[in-house]
Amino acid sequence: MLETGIPKIDEFLGGGIPDGKSLVYYIQPGVEGEVFGLQTVYTSLKSAKTVVYVASSTCPDNIKGQFAQFGWDIDIFKDRFFLVDAYNSLIRAPSKEKYVVSNPENIEDLSKIIIDAMKELPPSTIVFGSLSTILDLCGEKETIEAIRNWNKYAILHDHTMIYNFTVWPYSQETLDSIKKELFNAVIAVGGIADRVIFGQYYWILRSDWIKESRKSMLKSDWTKESRKSMLFRVSRPGGITLFIPKILITGAFFAGKSTFLHALSTQSVSVDRIGTTIAIERCHVEYKGFSADLFGTSGQERFTPIIKLLSGESMGVFLILDSSNPQDFIHAKEILQITKSYGLPYIVIANKQDLQEALTPEEIRKHLGLGKDIPVIPAVAKDKIGIFEAFEILIDKITGGI
Amino acid sequence: MNDYTFGIKVLDNAVDGLTKGKNIMLIGPSMSGKEIILYNMMYYGATTNENGIIMVTTREPATHILDWFKEHNLNLPMSRIGIIDCITKTLGSNDVENDNIKITNSPVDLTGIGVKISQFLDEFYMKKNIRKNQLHINSLSTLLMYSNIQTVFRFLHVFTGRIKGAGALGIFVLESGMHDDKDINTLKQLFDGIIEIKSENDRNFIRVIGLSQKPTPWFHYEIEGSNIKMGE
Ligand SMILES: Nc1nc2c(ncn2[C@@H]2O[C@H](COP(=O)(O)OP(=O)(O)OP(=O)(O)O)[C@@H](O)[C@H]2O)c(=O)[nH]1
Ligand SMILES: [Mg+2]
Repeated sequence: MLETGIPKIDEFLGGGIPDGKSLVYYIQPGVEGEVFGLQTVYTSLKSAKTVVYVASSTCPDNIKGQFAQFGWDIDIFKDRFFLVDAYNSLIRAPSKEKYVVSNPENIEDLSKIIIDAMKELPPSTIVFGSLSTILDLCGEKETIEAIRNWNKYAILHDHTMIYNFTVWPYSQETLDSIKKELFNAVIAVGGIADRVIFGQYYWILRSDWIKESRKSMLKSDWTKESRKSMLFRVSRPGGITLFIPKILITGAFFAGKSTFLHALSTQSVSVDRIGTTIAIERCHVEYKGFSADLFGTSGQERFTPIIKLLSGESMGVFLILDSSNPQDFIHAKEILQITKSYGLPYIVIANKQDLQEALTPEEIRKHLGLGKDIPVIPAVAKDKIGIFEAFEILIDKITGGI
Repeated sequence: MNDYTFGIKVLDNAVDGLTKGKNIMLIGPSMSGKEIILYNMMYYGATTNENGIIMVTTREPATHILDWFKEHNLNLPMSRIGIIDCITKTLGSNDVENDNIKITNSPVDLTGIGVKISQFLDEFYMKKNIRKNQLHINSLSTLLMYSNIQTVFRFLHVFTGRIKGAGALGIFVLESGMHDDKDINTLKQLFDGIIEIKSENDRNFIRVIGLSQKPTPWFHYEIEGSNIKMGE
């Protein structure tokens, strides 16, 4: 069993990656994903494993420099850390490594070196720094055939295979093979993107050994955790650390914001003050393995300073409406404008659906001129109806990248 | 205040305006002053239009670019400048990253370049609240020396899409006379317009295609120091 060393992933995978299995990090362009492979290399080395790193998009010295940036000293492991240099020949530079690919644009050359290493070395962790570069240089079909072959050798020789793959717009066929078929496990690494990418998350898309390990896991709440995604940051030094997103609850005066926040909260609600005038209610939610910090304001006039304050950090917005009070929708519209300008994902809560005069979500959508892509969720916050559905939908919107 | 401008009056007047979300190819021969034109767009974008500028350089180290502005007494507002240096490591120099400079592994490492572009965009857009940003890539020709056309196309496909989505402006420099027409035409599909430069008998001309009903006329220009002097 190989631990990836990435927070939560080993837990999600039932302890780590079994010998002979393969895993791909399926990384959206623009998201810092190659650190996943690096962190796994370092974790492996620390747990006395032999590690091979295939360097395709930069020279081995730069790779070593990257470890140093994270504060990971790999020199002490040099007798069991091997770099396959599949880069220097590209730029006609000499190589100091033991394993050198003479023509990285030829899949047979590359494959031969990798398979030599697999045959020679004891059961190892084999990490491909950039599978996409190999596809780019050697061709999609050729590379996919080679991967099948490497993964077969891995089973024979008990190696564990890890691939970093950037999801450039390759052919659908290639992407399907990578996502659905070639590897035992797929972890999507994506960005929370509206206009720009402003948060990063990973998400276990699938793993074919987890069913068995789930049975053997005594942890009873495992089955409840259907959502296996986490938001992360990359720190230098330090590597991947998890972080909790901030979600804003806003809306017109008396719409039910405080009620909504209390209903979602899994812990007690506290009140922060900004200066002397602005009070912010805050609480923490844990739901289906996903956690968030919620921030609620009072009334609507204070929204602008607060969203300004939190915009670099917040990940999404709930806009709460009193469905029975269309006069207030005009305020809601203003708030929406501001939210949109900050590029934050948001959903609309049509609260107080229990009241006779309440407009339906569809009527509200029309009133506000909202497009079909904006969810309008019916809710009765005071009876906790619709609120967890709403939370789940916002989280899906936040992490809907891949 | 305009969203985006070329910083060359006659050109700005000759097109219907550079609206948000446009991707433009800047193509011309070597020694025609393309770089100066690009630096001018960078300067006017950052100063007059108060835009964020993200510059990907594969030709000159970031520090050289910043020196050029200093030498010509052009004061860049540094809080809106981000340079992604893809060449320093290849040259074996030991320049380091700072608030304005990010260094990538190599021009082959499009994944790494993409990450740094996203990081600057995020920083400008979300953290600094700069809503208008320009991405300049100088140059696609170098990227094409290290990666094949499909690879560069895929990269550009993603990032021209992001430019559109973010309401930014993208300027992508290409050296003419270095690539197959077929390759250039493949890339052209990704762009809304072209700034075209030609040299005839030692005289340089510039025009813009695709941003007005008809191509603009060819304008004669000369480079004087950091200035672009438009002829008649
Ligand atoms: N009928 C009904 N009443 C609700 C519902 N949710 C909240 N309320 C009531 O609406 C009133 C306002 O609720 P709050 O949660 O205090 O509203 P708020 O948006 O926080 O108000 P301010 O902070 O003052 O802007 C309270 O009397 C709640 O009991 C609901 O779903 N149905
Ligand atoms: Mg309240």
